[in-house]
Amino acid sequence: MFYLTQMLGKPVVDAAGETVGTISDVAIATGEVFPRVTSLAFLGPDKTPFMLSWRKFVADVDDEHVALNANRADLRFSYLQPDEILLHRDLLNKQIVDTQGMKVVRVNDLKLSESRNQLRLLGAEVGARGILRGLAPWLERGIDRVVRVFGKSLPENLIAWNYMDLLDRDLSHVQLSVTHKRLHELHPADVADVLEQLSAAQRARVFEHLDNTQAALAMAELEDEFQADVIDDLGSQRASDILEMMDPDDAADVIGDLPYDKAEALLRLMGVEESGTIRRLLGYREKTAGGIMTPEVTTVTEEMSLGQVIEQLREEAADNESIYYIYVVEGDAHLTGVISLRDLVISEPHTLVGDIVHHDVFTADVDDDQEDVADLMSKYDLLAMPVVDETGKLLGIVTVDDALDVLEEESAEDLALATGSSRSFEASDAWSWLGRKSGWITVWAVLGVGATMLLNGFKTTLQSVVAIVFFIPLVIRLAEEISSHSLAVLIDAGDPEDRPPFLRRLLIDVLVGTGLGAVSGFIAFGMLEAIGETLKVAVTVAGSVGGTVLVTTTVGTLVPYIALKKDGSGWRAPSVLFSTGMAAIGLAVYLLLAAYLNANISF
Amino acid sequence: MAKLTPNKTRLLAVLAIIGPGIIAASAGNDSGGISTYSVAGARYGYKMLWMMVLMTPAFIIIQEMAGRMGAVTGKGLAALIRERFGVRPTFVAMLLLLASNAATTVAEFAGVAAAMELFGVSRLLSVPIAAVVVWLLVVRGSYRNVEKVLLALSSVFIAYIVSAFMAKPDWLAVGHAMVVPTVVPEVGFIALAIGLTGTTIAPWMQFLVQSNIVDKGTSIKEWRIARFDIMAGALVANVVAIFIIITTGAVLHPAGIAITDAGQAAGALAPLAGSYATILFAIGLLAASVLSAAVLPLTASYAICEAFGWESGLDRDWSEAPVFNGLYTFIIFFAAAIILIPHLNLIAIMLVSQVVNGMMLPFLLIFMMVIINDRRIMGRYVNGRVHNILAWSTIVIAISLTVLLLGMTVLGYG
Repeated sequence: MFYLTQMLGKPVVDAAGETVGTISDVAIATGEVFPRVTSLAFLGPDKTPFMLSWRKFVADVDDEHVALNANRADLRFSYLQPDEILLHRDLLNKQIVDTQGMKVVRVNDLKLSESRNQLRLLGAEVGARGILRGLAPWLERGIDRVVRVFGKSLPENLIAWNYMDLLDRDLSHVQLSVTHKRLHELHPADVADVLEQLSAAQRARVFEHLDNTQAALAMAELEDEFQADVIDDLGSQRASDILEMMDPDDAADVIGDLPYDKAEALLRLMGVEESGTIRRLLGYREKTAGGIMTPEVTTVTEEMSLGQVIEQLREEAADNESIYYIYVVEGDAHLTGVISLRDLVISEPHTLVGDIVHHDVFTADVDDDQEDVADLMSKYDLLAMPVVDETGKLLGIVTVDDALDVLEEESAEDLALATGSSRSFEASDAWSWLGRKSGWITVWAVLGVGATMLLNGFKTTLQSVVAIVFFIPLVIRLAEEISSHSLAVLIDAGDPEDRPPFLRRLLIDVLVGTGLGAVSGFIAFGMLEAIGETLKVAVTVAGSVGGTVLVTTTVGTLVPYIALKKDGSGWRAPSVLFSTGMAAIGLAVYLLLAAYLNANISF
Repeated sequence: MAKLTPNKTRLLAVLAIIGPGIIAASAGNDSGGISTYSVAGARYGYKMLWMMVLMTPAFIIIQEMAGRMGAVTGKGLAALIRERFGVRPTFVAMLLLLASNAATTVAEFAGVAAAMELFGVSRLLSVPIAAVVVWLLVVRGSYRNVEKVLLALSSVFIAYIVSAFMAKPDWLAVGHAMVVPTVVPEVGFIALAIGLTGTTIAPWMQFLVQSNIVDKGTSIKEWRIARFDIMAGALVANVVAIFIIITTGAVLHPAGIAITDAGQAAGALAPLAGSYATILFAIGLLAASVLSAAVLPLTASYAICEAFGWESGLDRDWSEAPVFNGLYTFIIFFAAAIILIPHLNLIAIMLVSQVVNGMMLPFLLIFMMVIINDRRIMGRYVNGRVHNILAWSTIVIAISLTVLLLGMTVLGYG
């Protein structure tokens, strides 16, 4: 086993035993899975670089040196071939794409193995082990030993040559082995994932190597914020070519995010038909059925035979995103029915469309909320849903992939509501973003100050019964816990119809609260007695704890319940705000109760 | 999809490139910087202004090189160092960067504490809140938004210009001091002069400006605008520094009030220049400290992850980029925790950060010069002859001053 970092700088000795230089690099032939080392590069006297054929001149290689089979005078120097890669210059310390793990990594070392006097590249080491070895071999061994004491081992993280794609050097002129997986051979979604890990300049370089179809597919999979950047870096002509290749709804998505000038320029470079379609799509509002639909749809009339329909499908299939449903129209694209691919396949070719058409079609209005459309599609297991205008004219279809994106987006928004932060925001509005993101910190701070004032107000009570302080954390924590629990229950229940009626709910809550209050009051009482407080103190504090638990449980469960019922549209305040508010209420109730009990009970 | 919005004009395209230079330079006027400038003004009046004027072109030259490397290669400085010099020098450089950034971040939180204590807020409250805010800002934000917040913070530096005018300086004397070099032959003056250089040309600022250019995707085609941004940033930062010196030079120097840091400077302004001057000065200090407390840990995490091939980026979460997020979080909360230690010797921490920065600067500048003159890396954008001469003389001066500072610190003249 050899490591490049350990080979570099070792002496090169000729047949006479004389040192002719030190190893500076080795070249590999790129055509194999474990490429052979083909050339040896070394620095001679005065740092003059030389290159030798490995096969012809290298007799032996070991940990200490490389031995040549000829004398210095008989060496014939060679040049780097186009299909050769220098391990030190092109790979070591460079970033590569791991096309198996779909990640961008840095090469820390290269591992080589010797067999029958041939040196082969096993792979690039990208893990911590390579870094440690590069720093000092004893460091690698030492840390490995330490890790072994704990029953683990420092793993080697190797990437084989056939799963590497180089970022700094263009490999397109290099003859690669058949199994070599280049970046552009990955699934477009994976290409997009890798692209998002790169810097803008590297991204642009990768895009140069993709052909238009691959570029269009990868572009559609990129996150919105990267799409505009990439378009910016591509030339206008190339950008418009790529956009033309994309599904019109995806292309419109990209163009909609561009500055006006740039968008206009790109649209003008496109074909009349494509740009017209995209312009129409841009006219629909965001987050509606119109906003996510594609206008590419197969339409037929009732008079056609199924044979003709199949013929038409064959012609259009290449362009159309979804062909699972064929829509039946009459007159000016007025939607009257639908046939499925299944109907089409199982019926005889001479049957007329009119004989098998289903007239009851689920349709979406062009202004319908995208979430409603996606919900309907998921409810009825539709692969596509037609979008019509107010006259019933078929405008396009929403396909299942776009519907899934919508559902994912919306569930992220729901999550944001529950956590009190928002991940989706307008990039232009930094201040409101700051407010939304850290709004709850402000709430916290304000309430914290409020709590301080509250405590200050009860100074005398607190001074006379210090034990009250012991349970403040418990009371606050409990109030928060109850509120987030009850909110979770409500979000879970979802539909207001499914919730129990108000009075029953109230009864349950009061019962549960009483039980919880009794238990915590009892525990508090026992504790205080155990640490030797007087009976009065124990009763006061235990009573306050119990009472507070009762009140917070009841209020904490009822407030979101009422708010949801009144509003109808749902709970709008984030749960963080709610639970913090509950904590404040809990604290206030606790202190009030304690002050009251302290003043009014005597034994 | 949104409708095309015609209000996004070409001006926005220009503004889109603006930012990295201004932020980097403003972050340089951090709490340590403001302290140094305040002390310079209070102790020697306007006598050090000419140095700031001379330092501006040197600062621009170095910042420009870092930015150009980013625009040409699309890689950060740490990546270039790794690829050009290998793992060992990179490791040493990253270790120094981490140490110096952590130490400087401690100083930033000290700045937050000092500024808020002027408003009567205990550091037990202000420092934890600042730490959490800074952490959230970066961990939960995307780069573009963080940049906007940081830009907004840098605009608060105008506070210093306003407070300088409120101090009613003798503008004629100010103008004179800017063009006529004066040297006071004493150790304190020389030490302070070196301190000025050190806070103006700090190593981490080169990492910062380059990674910002890369992150922003500025290509060499847009370089003219980006270069303008970098130069403007450097200029603005030094103008702000000059105004700080003017403020304390006009108010504290004639009264003979001795100060050791920015907090004291702000407090000392009140009886002489009115309480508004104090408030403005304190707001400036707060903004500067928060800005740099966000930027310093970020710079270190970016550079280290980039150098060793770990995933990084504000848009990546914990599971995607554990080292990046871990480093960032660690530096912030470590620094904030240090400040909360009672009876802390802040001056010693400042000294440590200055020494580490000083050790790093020569190496870093020489690395930069080798890389920027390497045609395999920079293509036709290598330094020209004039540029090289200017850069090398800047470097020689910066290095000799730093060595002098190190020597003096070690011998105990600091």
